[in-house]
Amino acid sequence: MIATMAFGLLILSLIVQIVYLFKKADKQERVSPWLSLVAGGLLLVEIVRRSIAIRFVALTGIFESLIFLACAMAFLIFALRHFKSTKDNKVIPFGASIIALIFLALASSPLAPSDVKPPVPALQSGWLVLHVSFTFIGEVFFAVGFVSAILQLTTKSEEKRRNYDRVTYTSIAVGYPIFTAGALIFGAIWAEKAWGVWWSWDPKETWALITWLTYTAYLHFRLVRKSTSRLVPALVIIGFAIAMFTFLGVNFLIKGLHSYA
Amino acid sequence: MKSSFDKIYDALRSVKLAVVLLILLALFAIAGGIIPQGKPADFYRGRFPGAGADIILTLDLDHVFSSIPFLLVSAVFVLNLTICTFHRLTGEFSKPRGKRRHGPDLLHLGLIVLMFGGVLTARTHTETTINLRKGESATLPDGAKIMLVDMTYEQYPDGRPKTWESTVEIHESPSQASAAVAVQQDTRQFRIRVNAPLRRKGYSIYQQHWHTEKQVVLKDPVGMGFSLEQGMRAATKDGFVLFMALDDASFSPLEGSAQANISISETSSADYPQSAVFLLEDKGKRTVVRVTPGQSIGPFTFDSYLDQSISGLSIVSDRGYPFVVVGFLLVMLGIFITYIQKLKGVFA
Ligand code: HEM
Repeated sequence: MIATMAFGLLILSLIVQIVYLFKKADKQERVSPWLSLVAGGLLLVEIVRRSIAIRFVALTGIFESLIFLACAMAFLIFALRHFKSTKDNKVIPFGASIIALIFLALASSPLAPSDVKPPVPALQSGWLVLHVSFTFIGEVFFAVGFVSAILQLTTKSEEKRRNYDRVTYTSIAVGYPIFTAGALIFGAIWAEKAWGVWWSWDPKETWALITWLTYTAYLHFRLVRKSTSRLVPALVIIGFAIAMFTFLGVNFLIKGLHSYA
Repeated sequence: MKSSFDKIYDALRSVKLAVVLLILLALFAIAGGIIPQGKPADFYRGRFPGAGADIILTLDLDHVFSSIPFLLVSAVFVLNLTICTFHRLTGEFSKPRGKRRHGPDLLHLGLIVLMFGGVLTARTHTETTINLRKGESATLPDGAKIMLVDMTYEQYPDGRPKTWESTVEIHESPSQASAAVAVQQDTRQFRIRVNAPLRRKGYSIYQQHWHTEKQVVLKDPVGMGFSLEQGMRAATKDGFVLFMALDDASFSPLEGSAQANISISETSSADYPQSAVFLLEDKGKRTVVRVTPGQSIGPFTFDSYLDQSISGLSIVSDRGYPFVVVGFLLVMLGIFITYIQKLKGVFA
């Protein structure tokens, strides 16, 4: 119910943004970021409500993960208006809104059962909460980098390309430390506490490593390549695709230790 | 004119090589992430008919992460990382104090420590599982004794597990505890839960699984009951009674006969197999008997079944993990320093 309201608000925000995208005016509308903020707030309420019901942080299933991702994305869309390099850009928040909406749409699909379930023993860990939340917050920044990298590859203007490159890099530079801490470090610490092995090459771990290697390759490639290289932003696009495969694809296509989350 | 040594050195410390190696490692990982690992050859022949299985088996893609090509590329990567880190580090030290940026150095150094820990883990990680019933004990690697005092298993209303917890008592071996402590108190109780292992010097003990085992309860002529686990015997005046097995063949729906169908409906009401099989020795004569609750075997009466809980604890030793933790700390510190310095001003 709450999630449906957030969904409605995000649709509304998208409509407002589309209207303004086609207007030639340079001025940004002021409505959509606030709609996003309220949607994010509602999703947060939903997370808190579920957490109280199970007496644990509600971050353990695919539905809850998607709600958390959409929530973080909605907050970031609001924040984008306050950063120097994205303040006047209309397309990046628009792309990010579409991604947030896709997360919510997936959450309401039958792939993500929404029944409230308290966690089994292996999931009852503070490290798990840190692991999941940091990973997703990192990925939300990767999503903005993904949108910006697409724009960077498709724009014809040299100046715009340089601007988009800065946004792409900044998003990855913020998301990468958070993702590294969450996906790899907290994940490994949790695995060691729960199972006694900090790394076991299960498919989810392996794909998280592939994601991380791809962004690591991007960061180093950018150090040695010229800003006109198309391969550099391509790595960011591939990186996000792999991150989403790690999150969703591995669950449904490949089985492993992580098959519950 | 550069010497060939310099050329090799420059190539080995180059970021370009790092990018190539990172992408190569990612490709290996993709292979290992798609193809199920460590299965028998027939599995691949069934799953990937034709040339697919041959390619996988020839290129060692059934065990990518321990294959020679992967280890070789990893080794070159570690070399690249090490040379590059020390080259950059010395470069930073030649700068004036205020201009030095040590974030990436710390991060790269952390990765080297981490990979060292990883190799050590791969070489030294051991895991032994012990199954304990209440009151049973086992010897730990350092000679101490562990005894299962109690275990709890709680379920949520929908049947999923909520807690598995073992209470254990540890008796230090005399060599472990100092003489004074040994006299006062060398036995302590601990609780081991999933996600809360018991840490000891050199190893940790994990709550790994939990299961129940069906035992039989027999009554002696006086009416005293006692339980017997599978494979165990109870002495009688002229021999013994040994509990061999549960006769749960009638339990299995895979028995495609009509008889099996009847017994399924019988057993599904009572959650237990109908009968148990015993070996009875009486004055040197052995007979195998099949009895149901209420019937007698030798001097005893077969009373009922009993569910006995068994706690599966695993004893894990991993000498690499401390290095891994140090590596993690350095990586975290380095990575955050790097980007805090880089991003200063971006958000202004
Ligand atoms: C898994 C392995 C590695 C990780 C996770 C890693 C991570 C990083 C990160 C996050 C940065 C900061 C990049 C930025 O400025 O945005 C960096 C910088 C750098 N890395 Fe790595 N790195 C790795 C391997 C390597 C290797 C093998 C080399 C060797 C050539 C290397 C050379 C460098 C250099 C030269 C810099 C630039 C430092 C500066 O800004 O002065 N890295 N690394």
